[in-house]
Amino acid sequence: MQNGDQHYSMEDETYTDIDGKAISLECQSHSGFCREFTVSSAKVSIGRVMVYTCAVWLSAYIVFFITENTAVLSSAIIITLVGMMVHIHFVKVDHETLLIIGSLGVQVSSSYASGRESTDFIEMDKIKDIVINEAIHMQTVIYYLCILLKDPSDPEAVSSVVPLFQSSKPRLNCLVKVYKSCQEILAKC
Amino acid sequence: MVENSPSPLPERAIYGFVLFLGSQFGFCKFVLFLYLVWAYVPDEWLHSIGLTYWPQKYWAIAVPIYLLAAVVVCIVMLFGVNMINTAPLSSVDNITDVYARGQRIDDCQKRAIPRLKDVSISEVNRIFYLSPQ
Repeated sequence: MQNGDQHYSMEDETYTDIDGKAISLECQSHSGFCREFTVSSAKVSIGRVMVYTCAVWLSAYIVFFITENTAVLSSAIIITLVGMMVHIHFVKVDHETLLIIGSLGVQVSSSYASGRESTDFIEMDKIKDIVINEAIHMQTVIYYLCILLKDPSDPEAVSSVVPLFQSSKPRLNCLVKVYKSCQEILAKC
Repeated sequence: MVENSPSPLPERAIYGFVLFLGSQFGFCKFVLFLYLVWAYVPDEWLHSIGLTYWPQKYWAIAVPIYLLAAVVVCIVMLFGVNMINTAPLSSVDNITDVYARGQRIDDCQKRAIPRLKDVSISEVNRIFYLSPQ
């Protein structure tokens, strides 16, 4: 971290996601026009992993007891292992980051539980605005932060929408903090 | 002279109930009654009267089960179709639509009620979250 970095961990206010699970927000201000926001979800809990594994293997053993077919046991083991590997590599997101650099662009990155990171960069010319929108999602209405992209040929129209923090889905109090901070930077450039 | 009022009276209750019974037993209950007769009365008795051209008794059980299964599937599919038709979070339909894009921005006259129009999402966000409370 450079000398001018300011690092807020937001300990006084607890943030949750739309399901009620606790998440944490970390804001880093690298300079006057560069800020980074990290939303971290709960880590993979070893208790839940053990419960699922025991449940799957117990049911596989019961099926083996009934059918006397050993392929059931080995297939249960293989399915459990492959399923856990796929889950931590492709599904379970550890933290999501939004890095906004004034007049340059926005970088959105998700980091998975296995360490894999997927990153996307959007130039400032393509960005129309960063807003909090409400939409229907699975029988509820949620707030979500999104980047509105504009077509260079038509600066007034919204050509596409990039939703942010899709895996952690924070609630409105967390989104408002990120929104205000982003708007300060967007207003300067 | 008896006053005319829409209040409930015992006579009106009786008229209403008679009308209800008549509408029920006029058509719906008639069909139901016929179905019950066909389902329960053995074939020999129906043949002995002379009515021979009936569907197989298998359908007396199959049709209600088909209808129940169809109702359950329709409930599930209703949820599914609604969820498919809901725009995803990355869709532009959550932000604007063709009517909002094409609305005219004309100056209103002084002291006239301004035209009803759609406020852009950026403006709404500024008013909600950036204005000092």
